[in-house]
Amino acid sequence: MGDEEIKAIEQSAPRVRWLARIVLLWATLILFRLVQLQVVRHNDFRHLAQQQQEHIIEVRPPRGAILDRNGQRLAMSLPVESIYVNPLLIPNIDVAADLMAPILNLDRSRLDADLHECVQKHRGFLWIKRKAPEEEADRLRNLHVDWIQFVTESRRFYPYGTLAAHVVGSVDSDGKGLGGVERKLNDVLGGKPGKLLVTEDVRQRGFESEQYGAPAQPGHDVHLTIDARIQYIAEEMLRDTVVAHHCHTGSAVVMDPRTGKILALASYPPYDPNQPVRNEFERKARFNQAVSVPFEPGSVFKVVTLSAALETTNLRPESIIPTGHGAMTFFGRVVHDSHNGPAAMSMEDVLVHSSNIGAINIGIRVGKEHLYEYIHRFGFGQRTGISLPGESPGLVFKPEHWRPSSIASVPMGHELLVTTLQLARACAVIANGGYLVKPQLLEDAPVQSKQILRPQTVMTMRHMMEQVVLRGTGRNARLIGYSAAGKTGTAQIVDLQTHHYTHFYNASFMGFSPVANPSLVVAVTANGAAGTSGFGAEVSAPVFKEVMTASLRFLEVPRDLPDDALPVPDDGKNETNDLAIADLSDPTLLVPPEEAAGDSDGDQQGIFVPAANQVSGPQAPNFIGMTARAVAELSAQTGIPVESIGTGLVRQQYPLPGAVLPAGERVRLRFAR
Amino acid sequence: MVSRSVAEAPARLREQMDEFLVRAVPNEDVFLFTKAIDNTLVVRESDPAARSACWRMIASSAAAVAVVVGLLAPSLYGLLAGYRLEALKQEEQRLETMRSALELQEARLLSPARLQALAKMQRYVDPAPGSVVYLEGKPGHQVARAGRPHVNP
Repeated sequence: MGDEEIKAIEQSAPRVRWLARIVLLWATLILFRLVQLQVVRHNDFRHLAQQQQEHIIEVRPPRGAILDRNGQRLAMSLPVESIYVNPLLIPNIDVAADLMAPILNLDRSRLDADLHECVQKHRGFLWIKRKAPEEEADRLRNLHVDWIQFVTESRRFYPYGTLAAHVVGSVDSDGKGLGGVERKLNDVLGGKPGKLLVTEDVRQRGFESEQYGAPAQPGHDVHLTIDARIQYIAEEMLRDTVVAHHCHTGSAVVMDPRTGKILALASYPPYDPNQPVRNEFERKARFNQAVSVPFEPGSVFKVVTLSAALETTNLRPESIIPTGHGAMTFFGRVVHDSHNGPAAMSMEDVLVHSSNIGAINIGIRVGKEHLYEYIHRFGFGQRTGISLPGESPGLVFKPEHWRPSSIASVPMGHELLVTTLQLARACAVIANGGYLVKPQLLEDAPVQSKQILRPQTVMTMRHMMEQVVLRGTGRNARLIGYSAAGKTGTAQIVDLQTHHYTHFYNASFMGFSPVANPSLVVAVTANGAAGTSGFGAEVSAPVFKEVMTASLRFLEVPRDLPDDALPVPDDGKNETNDLAIADLSDPTLLVPPEEAAGDSDGDQQGIFVPAANQVSGPQAPNFIGMTARAVAELSAQTGIPVESIGTGLVRQQYPLPGAVLPAGERVRLRFAR
Repeated sequence: MVSRSVAEAPARLREQMDEFLVRAVPNEDVFLFTKAIDNTLVVRESDPAARSACWRMIASSAAAVAVVVGLLAPSLYGLLAGYRLEALKQEEQRLETMRSALELQEARLLSPARLQALAKMQRYVDPAPGSVVYLEGKPGHQVARAGRPHVNP
């Protein structure tokens, strides 16, 4: 290397050194800034990053579904989109209204007014539509407009519409139960919300999430005892009869008498829980007529009266009860029966032909204390405890509040209020061997029952109630292929404003089938029927027949009548008049009762027919165990007419051997192999 | 002595010969020419120390890179796994919603009112009690009798 070159290098060294110093200084500044940002201000920026990236979102668990006993979904929830906007960010309110209104099927002028109002009041939030259908939300989302925001909410769907609406209930816009099981079991169905800490990147894509606080608890599904098929039949038949007979309301209950499980609970008028309440009529339609609206039962209540008589007196089905040819004097007033009849009849016939005067005499014989005791035993005047809100306990006055004439009204089912559910439960006592069961709507609820009647009382009542269907006022309830038992009832409705009984009726029927081993109980009530076609036998008994027939088929209950059963002979009688006379009832008692004035022994003021007026006639022979040929021979020999059902040997006979046979009556025989 | 013209003389000589001559431009007398140099026989002297230093540099750089990658890779994989996990959660949610929608559709199709309407369209009637035969369950989930019914003679 030459001297000149070395000299040139030596001349450029200071410049290189200065360049190196500048670079070093720059690097030092960068390093210093790095330390300041990542060490000194670490917490500040970390906090800022957390604010930007981490969000706490509330997790609302899906509401549990409501299913029937076969797993059919009666109510379920789906996530849907709700749409909101910040009106202050909308560039043009009118254009926004024009854009959103047709897509969301909203009133354009109202939407425009709401948006303008928010802008004037500086409100930064406005719901456009909550829980919109998926198609509408998708169409709006595809517009890719940044001032339209979406939030996921849960919407309740009722796939079967009006079916079992009064049992299932509905929810409000916030998903809270409003009625029915939705309200009663709101805590079970709703679950508990939780919170989630979500970390998102700059494009708001989440890459980490963890539970924040207490975990969300999803709602539990609820399995009901309701059978959707039976419920549908019950609602259809109830609707048809209410409409056909111009009634106001109606209700029906189908129950398993042994477990108390409710297979159907229908109420008319119906409502659709998918729709909000729009007027007063729809609001009243949400009343559960079967559970919340009590009424005077009328003649169906004679079942309770006669049960009490069998338990507390020496009266038997063949005991003769005076009926005074359809008119008698009680407490200074002449009371007329709903139809003319003999001077006396057997206790069984009192029930079969629904004799009011006979029932009054039986009630007097029982006495008000015993009668009240058995009314209470049958569960009247108390809530059943069913899993539905707004249950009415009905109204039963204590004996000390009874008027002197009450002993004549109560046995006929007046001066007290009951619900259709209570009637079904009372009928179940007869059907299940004497046990008062608690009605159940939940499939996994334990069976609760207590014995209130002796088995022999129950067997006797079953037989008498079967006769009601075979030859009494309940003929319209006869089933094909199954035996049935029941009682009709027709009670005048009181006008609480004028305190007078009207000529509108509560038409009822309660019964069970098959008779020997009852599988189902059905109670039907229609309120507001009128005229001779408004009696329980005409209005409610046919509903019982249709509902029971379908229900027994659905549940595959074996037929209990033999295939070659002889049809019950039609004697030409059309006994549908079972009107419970309200002449002795005091309609003012159906408001808060006043203290009863007068003699507290008023129940002794009833009149018994003297023994001299008792019916006389031939005694029924003993046909038990005879063949048909032998029966025919004996009948011809004694001149006593017989009426036969079935084949084989005589197993049952009414009246019993040795009982007095009233004039014009025949001995009824049931044959079986 | 060779007589030359002033223009033929080198620059420094021209200045000496004629003071009125314009000063020569720098490197006027520099001529470029190529000289073929064959360096194929020139080889770099072997320096083991430099080679080992070079390899050490490569190895240490590779190790440093591996350490850095090893430190950052788990968090990177974790981040990618987080994205994937969140995407799967959303997919699960979407599938749950789809399943619920299908269940709702199924329930609507199976509503008793709809089935009744379809039955009416097909002119189905309710069977009479006498025409309904309930078959008892057979082994192997066979509900129909395989053989002929036994007839009493």
